[in-house]
Amino acid sequence: MLSLARRAISSSSSSSQTSLLRKLSTCTVPVGGHSSNYFDLFNPSEEHAALRSMLRTFVEREVEPQALAHNRNETFNTELFQRLGSQMGILGLTVDEQYGGSGFQDASAVAIVHEELSASDPAFCLSYLAHSVLFTHNLSINGNHEQKLKYLPDVCSGVKVSGMCMSEPDAGTDVLGMSTTARHDEGNDTFVLNGRKMWITNGTIDGVSTGDLFLVYARTGPNRADLTQFVVEKGMPGFSLGQKIEDKCGMRASMTAELVFEDVVLPRANVVGAVNQATLCMMRNLEIERIALAAMSLGIAKRCIEDMNSYAQARKAFGKQLFEFGQIQKNVTESYAQYMAGRSYVYNVARNIELNCAGNGLDADGVKLFCGDMAKTVADRAIQTMGGYGYVGEYVVERLWRDSKLLEIGGGTNESHHKNMMRDLRRTVNKID
Amino acid sequence: STSHNDDTNKTIRNTNNNGHTDDKNKKQPSLVRMRVLVPVKRVIDYAVKVRINKSARSGAGHVELNNVKMSMNPFCEIAVEEAVRLKDKKIAEEIVAVSVGPAACKDVLRTALAMGADRAVHVSTPEDLRTDYDLQPMSVAGFLYEVALKEEPDLVLMGKQAIDGDFGQTTGMLAGMLEWPQVTFAAKIDVHDDKSCTVERETDAGTETLHIPKLPAVISCDLRLNEPRYATLPNIMKAKKKKIDVIDVDSEGTSIRMDPMIEMVEIYEPESRKGGIMVDNVDELIEKLKNEAKVI
Repeated sequence: MLSLARRAISSSSSSSQTSLLRKLSTCTVPVGGHSSNYFDLFNPSEEHAALRSMLRTFVEREVEPQALAHNRNETFNTELFQRLGSQMGILGLTVDEQYGGSGFQDASAVAIVHEELSASDPAFCLSYLAHSVLFTHNLSINGNHEQKLKYLPDVCSGVKVSGMCMSEPDAGTDVLGMSTTARHDEGNDTFVLNGRKMWITNGTIDGVSTGDLFLVYARTGPNRADLTQFVVEKGMPGFSLGQKIEDKCGMRASMTAELVFEDVVLPRANVVGAVNQATLCMMRNLEIERIALAAMSLGIAKRCIEDMNSYAQARKAFGKQLFEFGQIQKNVTESYAQYMAGRSYVYNVARNIELNCAGNGLDADGVKLFCGDMAKTVADRAIQTMGGYGYVGEYVVERLWRDSKLLEIGGGTNESHHKNMMRDLRRTVNKID
Repeated sequence: STSHNDDTNKTIRNTNNNGHTDDKNKKQPSLVRMRVLVPVKRVIDYAVKVRINKSARSGAGHVELNNVKMSMNPFCEIAVEEAVRLKDKKIAEEIVAVSVGPAACKDVLRTALAMGADRAVHVSTPEDLRTDYDLQPMSVAGFLYEVALKEEPDLVLMGKQAIDGDFGQTTGMLAGMLEWPQVTFAAKIDVHDDKSCTVERETDAGTETLHIPKLPAVISCDLRLNEPRYATLPNIMKAKKKKIDVIDVDSEGTSIRMDPMIEMVEIYEPESRKGGIMVDNVDELIEKLKNEAKVI
């Protein structure tokens, strides 16, 4: 293997060369040890590896130091969030360059960003997700050229903070049971929006007024699936903040709100996609959303494994280092294996997803179902391994434990995944593959 | 040949002279086409908690690099950033990053390209020569000298030292080989229209200002020179298309010696810090400072 590295290599631009080179180029040997044919599922190309590396440095230097305080005070770090756009260029990760994005239209890249951010501050990452995936990515796929030109540059740079409104006070998993309506006024071709949306990430930034931009789903026809999505802008008459939701268990540095729509008049230009056709847009975006959320669970798990692993080597009891005890070995090793299983599942699904179409629902639900529970369990083991220290904010894992719980609820409850996956699996009467 | 630097021996700069000399053999670097060469090194990340493997290298020990995060040397990052700022100001037209080491060096070359370098050169050395111990400044300077001869930069901007070897020798050796002026520990660099250069330099006693009457020169960068930018994702994507030329030392052969000139005999961790003690009075303090700490 080493002798291959000495072969004269001309300037690298072919991907097969670079992937071979990437493996040979690492001085370090990954934990499992690999042959020279190894394909790095978690960094499929050099750009993925560069993105991950850059993010990791940024997270260590800029995100990690601010996480605890914002969690404690339930405040949003607007300044750091904007730097994700201006300094890093990741707010518009999947958006075309002509609209101010980075053009990295790839689900693995989305997973990488969420995994790396969540290894330090899942709450901050959740706000990133709501903005970049739920609004920005959705609009870049489903919006028309004029809408993209109008809204995307500001969200890609971070000047405006955005989100998406689907759930309501009385409808979560039963999303098609929503009661927010948009009545079409034939006279001036506008839609009048009425209703309340709940659990909206980035719904408010200052706690007093609404966030800047939202994609809102509303009922526009008589059939259960007759939904349309609209862009609603801050300041539109009738659009107001219901309440900032406080005292959340986790994700406390991410602002969550109830938003109120009272006769908000929306011009035709604010309809995204076709009227009564938004269910498809919703389902398609939910797939990438679930991969992103599963990747957040991966980041949480990874960090917890690292912290309990290093603690187990530093801490002594009964004259031995903690990792010599069977229960601690079980905690660390089972966490590692489950993390790797979840990680492989997520990145394999991400690799094969086409961002423009739906149809990967079964595994998008599957990764979230598996990883949500996995991260919560790993975080719990981390606290247990670290004992008293694990129970305290300064040692990070308790915050990750509280944050991890959300991933079994938000973006799809475990129950919704059961329902959806059963619907898909029912159609399979013979072999699974 | 490096004869075009005789001007730098003059201590008084003729301000009416726009920089041209009568000697037609001397090359005239043009402001409009200034090229900056930036050597960069791949080292252990500065934030990593270093571990020593005491049994490695027949007992001499080495820093454990398995599964450890590697990054561009922080002082090299500062040098790249300064070069990119010169380009932003339109003083530099082309930035060439160069790294000497095994295949993994490509990582830091890609980072330099993503930060704003235009192209890169990789002097590819054998995998078994570790860049923190085996490939030493004299060799690295030799390779950089050959690259500088080929690239003909107007300025070499480099980090003052690498955080793994901490030798701090490569800048001086390179300047000596090139016979170019050298200014170290730059905290501020100003390149003027007449291709002279003013550098503020950090010393233990304070800051001094030096003047280089005419480039080319070698300048090493210190911490306070600038704060390096993160490579934005769009720039990482663009860097994919930028060229990295590889000079494979093994297959092409070289006259530069690669074997170490200094032997690393032992490496060990510093003694862990002991707790402090409270003393009851000044007399006891003096007694301890004198007899235990032995500092007075």
